[in-house]
Amino acid sequence: MNTRTSMFWGALVACTLLSNAPAYAQTDAMKTSSVQPYGFWLTTPTPEFTANAGKKISIPLSVINDTEEPRRAEITLNGVPDGWTYALKGSGHEVAAAMVAPGDTGSLTLELTPPSGAKAKAYPLDIKAKYSGGTAELPLAVTISDAPEASATLVPELPALRGGVKTSFEYKMKLTNDGADDALFNLAADVPPGFQTTFKKGYGSEEITGIPVKAGQTADVTLQVKLDNSVPAGQYPIHVMTVAGDQHAAADLALQVTGSPKLDLTGPQQRLSGTAVAGKETSFTFKLDNSGSAPAKAVKLAATAPSGWKVSFDPAELPGLKPGDEQDVNVTIKPTEKAIAGDYMVTMNARAEGTSTSARFRTTVETSTMWGIVGLGVIGLAVIVLAMAVMRYGRR
Amino acid sequence: MKREGSPLKGVMTIALKEAADHMTSARMHLIMLLVLLTAAGAVYAAIDQIRATTSEDPFLFLKLFTVARQPLPSFASFMGFLLPLVAIALGFDGVNGEFGRRTMSRILAQPIYRDAVLFGKFLGGMLVIGIALLTLWLLMIGLGILLLGLPPSAGDMARSLAYLAATLIYTGVWLALALAFSTLIKAPATSALAALSVWLIFSIFWSMITPFVANVISPVDPFNPISVVNAFETQQALARISPATLYGEVAQMLLDPASRSVGPVFMSQMQGALVGAPLPTLQSILIVWPQISGLFAAMVLLFTGAYVFFQRQEVRA
Repeated sequence: MNTRTSMFWGALVACTLLSNAPAYAQTDAMKTSSVQPYGFWLTTPTPEFTANAGKKISIPLSVINDTEEPRRAEITLNGVPDGWTYALKGSGHEVAAAMVAPGDTGSLTLELTPPSGAKAKAYPLDIKAKYSGGTAELPLAVTISDAPEASATLVPELPALRGGVKTSFEYKMKLTNDGADDALFNLAADVPPGFQTTFKKGYGSEEITGIPVKAGQTADVTLQVKLDNSVPAGQYPIHVMTVAGDQHAAADLALQVTGSPKLDLTGPQQRLSGTAVAGKETSFTFKLDNSGSAPAKAVKLAATAPSGWKVSFDPAELPGLKPGDEQDVNVTIKPTEKAIAGDYMVTMNARAEGTSTSARFRTTVETSTMWGIVGLGVIGLAVIVLAMAVMRYGRR
Repeated sequence: MKREGSPLKGVMTIALKEAADHMTSARMHLIMLLVLLTAAGAVYAAIDQIRATTSEDPFLFLKLFTVARQPLPSFASFMGFLLPLVAIALGFDGVNGEFGRRTMSRILAQPIYRDAVLFGKFLGGMLVIGIALLTLWLLMIGLGILLLGLPPSAGDMARSLAYLAATLIYTGVWLALALAFSTLIKAPATSALAALSVWLIFSIFWSMITPFVANVISPVDPFNPISVVNAFETQQALARISPATLYGEVAQMLLDPASRSVGPVFMSQMQGALVGAPLPTLQSILIVWPQISGLFAAMVLLFTGAYVFFQRQEVRA
């Protein structure tokens, strides 16, 4: 059995310091090259590493049993400096021993926390697994360093976008987790007022507030920015931040809003109906305002009315209308003489470079009261005739 | 010798007495029974029709007056046809009946002028007709509320009241005509026949005669579209001599808020128009105001004719 205890070689070739002499001449392992190595080992993929002080380090351990019987191993850690805490964990519990079936591998995790004041130097540690047939040893070297830990990076694909207030701006960014651990990154964007931001993962449709990124991996994040119609034209900065624990990354984006004019034509007292008399001019005060974000240039007003109608505007043309400005427009409607009473639609248009608006104005045409007066005259005449007859022939 | 005082003294006494006589007369009862039965039938049929076909209408009550179901005509056309008959029944022997019964000299022996007799007879007749129409109108509204289960809207009320007033004026024209015949013609039977012939001509035959007369006055040239319009307008002008035509136009305009004109309408006038939008009530009245004032003037002038003739008549026969 002693021969088997000294079979530590295979997995530890890379960098492990073995206290036992390499057993290259182990006879039963060398009988045929195809035969599995035979023995009991304690291994780790990272026997020498660098860590920051004050942070918990997780070291995965494997207990390999290549003997022919199940073996129980008492695991102890030696050489831990003062102030350091450690715990050995297996399947969620703190453990002191492991039992591995023949031909199987047991997984354990050593959680080591150097105190934040630990000096920057190399600390040798030694893990021992004592089993019935001997002791398997695993020396570890932990170097505490002052160098800041590698953090996350956020790299926008296209950091500057341009568009109008109706555009949906999408910034695609790559978030790389350069840290040692998987992390959930919270996402936030600092934007001027009137901006609405949503984060999405890659090309997905779900809105997210955070994204998990595995250590050393990269995730695609899309920032979507929508603007209120009231946002004036200009250049705006957007600051995107992402934080996971003490890892943080930021990216500065730029957004250029090109303004567009937007005209609105509203009727008198916000109404879009009015009354006019056939053959007579009636004036209405309309309001033309620019609710867009750029000045409207060369505004022209025109109307589509039933044939024979006259619709005129005062002013009929405006050289320009600044955003937020409004202008009273006097609209004179003259229905044709022959217009019969009832409701008619008059469509009014305001056109500027790049925009136009129209208002449908319901005009109620009233008949002229001239015939009403004539009718009263006819009745009056008849009554006068009667009165004269009474005066001439009355009182008999 | 110049006589003193108001010529109209005692008019109301005579009018009320005349109305009371009419109210109790078998003739009035019979004719009103006829009108009531036909009106109730027309309304009942209209309600059936409205229930079956109309889902929603802002002027549902007005449909009571205009909707017809075969074989019955609508309420409005019944009124146009039968109300002259009521008026003629009330007025055809108004004056010559008094002579026939030899009561005229007895009336004129009272301390009143002769003016008061004819004014009183006319006003008494109008009072009776007014009461009858109001009853009929209330009956319509009541039946409508009962069978449709809806209260009438303000627009309904305004339009149907205007229609009621126009109907009273229309009936007044026929009453004035009947009174005129009763003063002109000595025999009551002859005056009744004369009034009835005028009623028949204007109610039934006039619409057959006018196209011929219009064709003579303004013949249609098939190559000139304006002549077609002219012929139509001539025919319409001729048709409007008949009070029945005028009343029909008034009823159509007042009872159908969506109708906009009683004359011909050109396509160019309809361009941009919102068809089916109801007119304001006053606008509808304004459109048919010439018809209404024409009817009113005809009533006054017919009465004036009867008055002048009666005043010049020898009464001591």
